[in-house]
Amino acid sequence: MSSSSNQHGRGPAVIGRAPVPGSPFSPPRRQRPRADGIDALRIALWAVCAAVVLLPLGAIVALASSGNHLPLLLSGDIAEAGLNSLVSASVSALGAVVVGTVLALLLDRTDLPGRRVLRLFALTPLLVPPFVGAISWIGIAGPTGPLNVAWTQWFGAPLWNIYGGDGVIFLLTVHSYPVVYIIVSAALRRIPSDLEQAARISGASAVRAVVSVTVPLLRPAMLSAFTLVAVGNLADFGIPSIIGLPERYVTLSTLIYRYIQSGTVESPLEVISTIGVVLLIVAAAAMVVDMLVSKSRWELDASASAAQVLPLGVARIPLTLLAWGGVLAVTLLPVTALLTQALLPAPGVPLAWENLTLDNIVRATTMPATLTGAINSVVLSVLAGLICGVLGLAIGTVVTRTSARSNTALKTVAMLPQAIPGLVIAVGWLIIAPRIGLFNTPWLILCAYVMAFVAIVVQAVSAPLRSTPMTAEEAARVSGASRLRALFDISWRMAVPAAISGATLVVLTAVRELTISVLLLAPGGQTLGVSIFSLQQAGAYNAASALSLIITLVGLAGLGLAARRAR
Amino acid sequence: MSSVTLSSLGLVFPDGTVGLENIDLTITDGEFIALVGPSGSGKTTLLRSIAGFLSPTTGTIHLGDTLVAGDGTLVAPEKRGLGMVFQQHAVWPHWNVARNIAYPLRLAGVAKAEREERVAEVMRLVGLTGFEKRNPTTLSGGQRQRVALARAIVGRPRVLLLDEALSALDEPLRDALRLELQTLTRSIGLTVVHVTHDRDEALALADRVVVLDGGRIQQIGTPPELVSSPVSPAVARFLSDATVFDGVHSATGFAAIGHPCTVAPDAVESGGTTGHGTIAVLPEDVTLRPAQHGAGTVTSSLYGRAGNDVIVDWAGVALRCRVAGRRPLVGERVDVEVTRAMFYSATGVVASMPSMYS
Repeated sequence: MSSSSNQHGRGPAVIGRAPVPGSPFSPPRRQRPRADGIDALRIALWAVCAAVVLLPLGAIVALASSGNHLPLLLSGDIAEAGLNSLVSASVSALGAVVVGTVLALLLDRTDLPGRRVLRLFALTPLLVPPFVGAISWIGIAGPTGPLNVAWTQWFGAPLWNIYGGDGVIFLLTVHSYPVVYIIVSAALRRIPSDLEQAARISGASAVRAVVSVTVPLLRPAMLSAFTLVAVGNLADFGIPSIIGLPERYVTLSTLIYRYIQSGTVESPLEVISTIGVVLLIVAAAAMVVDMLVSKSRWELDASASAAQVLPLGVARIPLTLLAWGGVLAVTLLPVTALLTQALLPAPGVPLAWENLTLDNIVRATTMPATLTGAINSVVLSVLAGLICGVLGLAIGTVVTRTSARSNTALKTVAMLPQAIPGLVIAVGWLIIAPRIGLFNTPWLILCAYVMAFVAIVVQAVSAPLRSTPMTAEEAARVSGASRLRALFDISWRMAVPAAISGATLVVLTAVRELTISVLLLAPGGQTLGVSIFSLQQAGAYNAASALSLIITLVGLAGLGLAARRAR
Repeated sequence: MSSVTLSSLGLVFPDGTVGLENIDLTITDGEFIALVGPSGSGKTTLLRSIAGFLSPTTGTIHLGDTLVAGDGTLVAPEKRGLGMVFQQHAVWPHWNVARNIAYPLRLAGVAKAEREERVAEVMRLVGLTGFEKRNPTTLSGGQRQRVALARAIVGRPRVLLLDEALSALDEPLRDALRLELQTLTRSIGLTVVHVTHDRDEALALADRVVVLDGGRIQQIGTPPELVSSPVSPAVARFLSDATVFDGVHSATGFAAIGHPCTVAPDAVESGGTTGHGTIAVLPEDVTLRPAQHGAGTVTSSLYGRAGNDVIVDWAGVALRCRVAGRRPLVGERVDVEVTRAMFYSATGVVASMPSMYS
């Protein structure tokens, strides 16, 4: 490794600085810049990305193209599951976009009473793993839920049974609108309020200004939220398996799980990889659409004045009741349901003081399976957080702070898994597992976690770095640092807090993960999510609820801490 | 007739900070008013109160004969019939240029044919003919500001509000647009309220300049009035970079306390008052003479078209001077003579607040 940028005759500004690594006799910079530390780093990052991201994807494509299973895809089961997946993902994403955007406008731009507190409540479904949400909603709107029981007594039929396709769509919507809210509300903050005020001065009423100026400017954010949510929901496993399967509502993820668990088809891996390729194509198409739209995104100037709060006027009271009622219903009800289920000995037992017991919690937390699951989850997620943190920090800084033609490609490869359903990621690792000697070990899950979550850190790191002027590094270069040294001393150091909060987010996401770990389940390698899922499948609803409650509370506390750190 | 009338206007923000205090201002039809002041002086607050984005806590705002704010009335911004140009132009990026400009007319329900005619006319006025179908993101900063200006005047507003409208532009462009702005507003007889932090721009453009500080009006006057007879040392310091000395004025002239500065009696404009007080010395009213053992040392000397901008350390006071001819060198020793000073008695304001002509 030699540095071509080493400067001689350093001025007093660099006295006391550690000597720059590399040859002090580097040639003058006239010639083509020679390969230096940054290039070596870039090559290393490409190698890791190729191994962690491109290899599993390549394996899927290779296996899928080894035989033609396309006719099978169009046959009964798979076609029906595909249609169900497509419908549930797109309808729930549409619902999430509508709910998320309306909430963003209401909470960020109007004088809705208590909007700050309501914002916190509205975001909580994000912190609850979808399968935990599913378990808790069974307690509310399941056939034996209090509401349906009461309704049956009065009217002879249950009000609404959450099992089935409509329940899946509802729950997917509940668990994805916070993501939309975050994306749209960030976009809303970037729209200068001058634009709305210019419309007001031109003669538009407050509502008209929002509709004709703000909402059109939010459209790209809404679309990219839609694709992100739809791709995520396409592959969710927890909700369709807990809510959909009892009513024979099969989606691709539950179908693939069945194929892996029991050999119902010949050469299941090949069939699954064919499904995976189809999902990949859908994800790629969504990514392309999103990129095309974001290209036409407008550059907006920084807002010169604080956002104007829109008075709701006569609509204030009804909207307040609606927003508060709706948000509290989807956030507080599930936690309450979990709590009651966790404290009752069996489903259907009336809620009375003498029936309450801590047995479920004690039993659930002391079962050996739970303990194994918890330890596995913690180890795997902390390791995933560490690896993703370092890898993401390196990729994020190299990609945003150096100029090379391959940067875009590197970032795309690192970000790609975010657009790929977790299901496909798991299938990819399942295919290559025997070849790399990780078959039936928990390390396979770790590899899949790194692939799936490294994008979180890359994104967390790039955002603050992009807004820092390049002069920060140029100043270091002028002071005598080599390219690599400047990158390391300035950009990395600046991005470390962002990388830490990104890595924390990875840990918290991975520790409650189900889709990947249920498909890559190894003997003795079950995760916490799998433990809860197994309890639920085995009919131990109350024990499952008890564990879910704990994981929810730990998650809330952890993310609360992470959010505080990030500030 | 008057276009904007502000009476005892006051504004206190929810957090308790005073935005405006006891503002009285009458702007006549077709007048160009500039609001200047240091940052936080309330100039933007005043403009946004007129626009309707802020509601005053006391006092009233009339546009023409209509009460728009105060006495329990608060007319929404869109009902005030104003035009406004923002610092960051605020051109809507999702519409083309013509659609942006036509928007106020569209909202006013102007028929399509007339709308197109009027849009074409203002686009000609601001020099944007041929840009109708352009996407605003492809325009330069100056062109975008022209779009914003066209949009603000197309609806024939009662008053045109300019919120640092030229401040985001590069200097040569700002200069050019300044000239165009004056030509344009004069040719159609617009009433303009222009907020700027650029003192020269305010003096160059305005019929009358309003100097604000701490939410209060410090002085209202024509540009020559403000420059030659500021009402307070603070205004002189803000508008003209005057240097201020505390001291005693008597029949023998002014003598600073704790400083060698003295001014001959006929060079002090005191309005007949004597006693303790303050003088403000404008940069133009200082003469520097090179001297081996001069009392002052030149600490900086900038070249300027109208005169060199020189700062002299005079016994610990940084004295700002504008000298024509030879440009003094930094470090040079000079003798200092104050040829004219304005005296402000410590017991009372010497000059009365200039009356508003309207």
